[in-house]
Amino acid sequence: MAAAADSRVAKLASKLYDACADTFDPDTLFYQPDLLDLDVVPKGDVALLLQCTQSLVDQKLFRLHQSQNRIGWKVIAREDAEKLSSLNADEALVYNVVHSTGRSGVWVRNIQHRTNLHKSILDRCLKSLEGKNYIKSIHNVRAPNRKMYMLSGLAPNEDVTGGAWFTDGVLDTNFINTVAGFIEYTVSRKSWYEVTVDRERGRSAKRVKTATGKAEVNGETPKRTFIPYPMNYKGYPSVEDITKAVNESCITPVQLHSESVIQLLQMLCYDKKLVSLGEGRCYKSVKNPDIIKALQARKTPTEGVDPAPLDILGKNGMTESPCGPCPNFKLCSPGAAISPETCEYFDPWKEKVLGF
Amino acid sequence: MMSQHAVELCTLLIEDNFGELFARIFSTLQRYERLTLPRLRFYSGLSERQLRHGLTAMIQQHLAFHFTSVDDGNTYYEANPEAAYYLVRSGKILQLIEERLGEYAAKVMEVILFLGHASVRHLQSIPELQTVGVPVAPKPSVQTNGVSHEEDGDAENNDAENNEMELEGEGEGAQETNGDDIPEAKPAPFHSTLKALASHGYILRVKDAIFQSPSDNYLDARRTVSAKSDIKALKGKKQEEAIESATADLVNERTDYDLSEKFMYNGLPRGVKRKITNGSSGAGNKHARTNGVNGHHADDEDDEENDWSEDEDGFDNIPMESGLIVRVNYEKLDVALRNARFVDLAEQDAPDATVEVYETLLHRIEYATPRCRTDGRKKDIPREGEEGKHHSIPIEVMKIVKDLDPDLDLTGAIGPVDPQSSSSLNTRGKRPLENGVNGTHDEEDGKSIFTRMTEVNQHLSLLSQPPYNLAESHTSEGIKWYISFRDLARKLRHLELERMIESRYGDVALRVIRVLQAKGKLDEKRLQEISLLPMKDLRQTLATMQKGGFVDLQEVPKDAQRQPSKTIFLWYYDTDRVCSSILEDTYKAMSRTLQRIKTERERVRDFLEKTERTDVKGHEEHYLTELELVDLQRWRDLEALLLTEVARLDDMVAVFRDY
Repeated sequence: MAAAADSRVAKLASKLYDACADTFDPDTLFYQPDLLDLDVVPKGDVALLLQCTQSLVDQKLFRLHQSQNRIGWKVIAREDAEKLSSLNADEALVYNVVHSTGRSGVWVRNIQHRTNLHKSILDRCLKSLEGKNYIKSIHNVRAPNRKMYMLSGLAPNEDVTGGAWFTDGVLDTNFINTVAGFIEYTVSRKSWYEVTVDRERGRSAKRVKTATGKAEVNGETPKRTFIPYPMNYKGYPSVEDITKAVNESCITPVQLHSESVIQLLQMLCYDKKLVSLGEGRCYKSVKNPDIIKALQARKTPTEGVDPAPLDILGKNGMTESPCGPCPNFKLCSPGAAISPETCEYFDPWKEKVLGF
Repeated sequence: MMSQHAVELCTLLIEDNFGELFARIFSTLQRYERLTLPRLRFYSGLSERQLRHGLTAMIQQHLAFHFTSVDDGNTYYEANPEAAYYLVRSGKILQLIEERLGEYAAKVMEVILFLGHASVRHLQSIPELQTVGVPVAPKPSVQTNGVSHEEDGDAENNDAENNEMELEGEGEGAQETNGDDIPEAKPAPFHSTLKALASHGYILRVKDAIFQSPSDNYLDARRTVSAKSDIKALKGKKQEEAIESATADLVNERTDYDLSEKFMYNGLPRGVKRKITNGSSGAGNKHARTNGVNGHHADDEDDEENDWSEDEDGFDNIPMESGLIVRVNYEKLDVALRNARFVDLAEQDAPDATVEVYETLLHRIEYATPRCRTDGRKKDIPREGEEGKHHSIPIEVMKIVKDLDPDLDLTGAIGPVDPQSSSSLNTRGKRPLENGVNGTHDEEDGKSIFTRMTEVNQHLSLLSQPPYNLAESHTSEGIKWYISFRDLARKLRHLELERMIESRYGDVALRVIRVLQAKGKLDEKRLQEISLLPMKDLRQTLATMQKGGFVDLQEVPKDAQRQPSKTIFLWYYDTDRVCSSILEDTYKAMSRTLQRIKTERERVRDFLEKTERTDVKGHEEHYLTELELVDLQRWRDLEALLLTEVARLDDMVAVFRDY
């Protein structure tokens, strides 16, 4: 009698499971009325329904959720259920905790707190789960020292990875610089109008004069100069244009989202390399393409060798004077141990400037 | 009240320019503030005779205020550190005048600077100013040969008791600078030049109030006002208000030194040089362009101003009243110097033609801007974010067009609105077409004034774009351009700070500073997300900058125990604080550099004494060996270098304190 009832329940349960899998998304939480509405359990027999759900939960086909004093369930796919049923009780406990945190991952200490397992048992569980490739450990940029886990099938969300600019939780400086350099140059191409000065023509003298020093490139003929566009020029690239250009350029292994590109564009604005127009809709470069090229070329070889200050902003009295960079400036006073009379920085400085 | 380093610097400047006696009196007055003569004698340890001579000359130079109290009949003396500081800026002022008004004007200015103040009659009598055309021999500047001139010695010979008197000794000093007259020299356009200076506002009328400190002026005016019968009749709060406003009026009236209005012509100062391509600034040239006398001050709205034509030459030599006493107007010159800095900003990225248009706009604005800040110099630079707006007067495009050099090529420097349409032209080497302009680009001569105006607008709107927003416009009744002074002055300050940060901490630090400036207080995490810097670099940079005093850290504890682990740390960048500390450092660096000159001079003293001998001086080639000549040249270079450094530092002081 009991066996017959069990098999009836099992049959009904599997019918219920199929109905649920058809009706609900894996992420939808459903409650008792929802199940009764499916018309699987005859005559709305609540006791029978509960027996069925209990058996499904035992088979790891349903996940039990409790919220606001109500009991709800979620469907688990059959493959996952197989995974789960192959785990022992402790492992299943851990797996559920990791599963519940989704794409944000969970810190080991929080797992311990929630499962109440002993540390050594927990470690064993995590190791076996990781060995079975059910979960994976991830880096969190916000807390680099915390060991965190999430399900192996999921990609960590932006909060955890820090966005496109992080590789394994570390800021990828080289990547950022490459993309930033590319963006600056691309924007610059569209922010300055290129004029080729033809030497044979009589006009060239005048043209060279108007652009003296500023936009001129020394060297190769024909000379190129760059002149700004007028105020009503509409060709400054927008965020979408720039994102498209970056993604088409093959310098990034992954497709960048426009949010990531905006982040980088803002950084470039703080560098005073770009300025944003119209509240961030379009961007314009401050320097023309040739200057940018020259600066970027200058930066690369000196790296690692003691990069000389670039002085892009120019100098002022304090940066030129020996007193500006003097480490003992605060102590300096006439007649003291460090004094203008005995200063050892003035002579080298004077020799450097005057050249004798 | 001035800081320790500022006082030290002012004393050094006075010592350098006028000798030790002045410096001693000045530093005593600075230390003890207001003193009567007996007290001053007691504190300074100088004899009464020395003090009288010194104070007289210092009053002549505006280095000391004096005030005779009606109550006790004592005369109090007080130092004027502002005037002392401006000694360092005189070189820059002369250069500016020379660029704007020509060499002769600079010479007149030099004499006025040298004398402190002088009457027109006296200036006229100085032989040096009577002629022009003297070959431009490099004038021996005050310290060329290393030993500071003993002007105070000359001054002492004068037993001058009243400050209105011109010091003969100093007059002679001025004469020395230009030894022999060349016979073929032409008579100088003395009066027209002086009028040009006056109408630009570069010189001021001297009134009694200028010899008293501002607070004395105020108290004196208040006393006079309170004694009036109609004010006495009032009671309580009303009386207070009446006294306050009447005092302000009286002070304004007494300290109204302005000369420019009287000599303006149709809203324009005289003697303005138009941009001349060949750059010749001979007297004849200038003469022709100088405006005639015409007492009335025309309003700015007058668009129909007639050209400053040639027929007015005759009026030019109507002399100025010979009794008028003039002095230099530092406030106005600061305005001109500040405008020059704005032009520098424009030069960074804009084409030359744009810069020229901008310069023209700034000149127009300068004429109507009496001082850098509306609240006057008495107060400090307002705190960031509390500075309010201070706009220049708006200038019509038409006026700029008129002032511009008509040959200036405005079309070539700006690209087309739509690059595709004219790209074919460009490959053929043709100049890019200005699409915004009505297509009259080819006939330069046939250009209508309207086209020209559109072009000027284009150039100025180029400057109105970020990062600097150097000009702004509004379009009620035609487009007018103006400058937002406080915003630009702030940008100048930030630029100076950023230059220092870049040279000390590199471009990473620069990015961090700008993020902090834009966002306020941030913790490390947020800072990293915005600046996209590796944590290690970021922390290092922040720590070194904190050591250098550029950024600060604020703790926000989460609980009462203030445990570090439960505390939020926020980084911030307080520009006002950094500015004021850098200003002090700059004063100090200037002092140190000046002190170093002394040390250097001490090192080669024997040699310099030889070059200073009366028989050697002026005939160096004759008396010195070749080696010694090389040494002398080196010394001169070195001194010039150090003095230039002081001048460069002064540029920073101007940005942090005066603009």
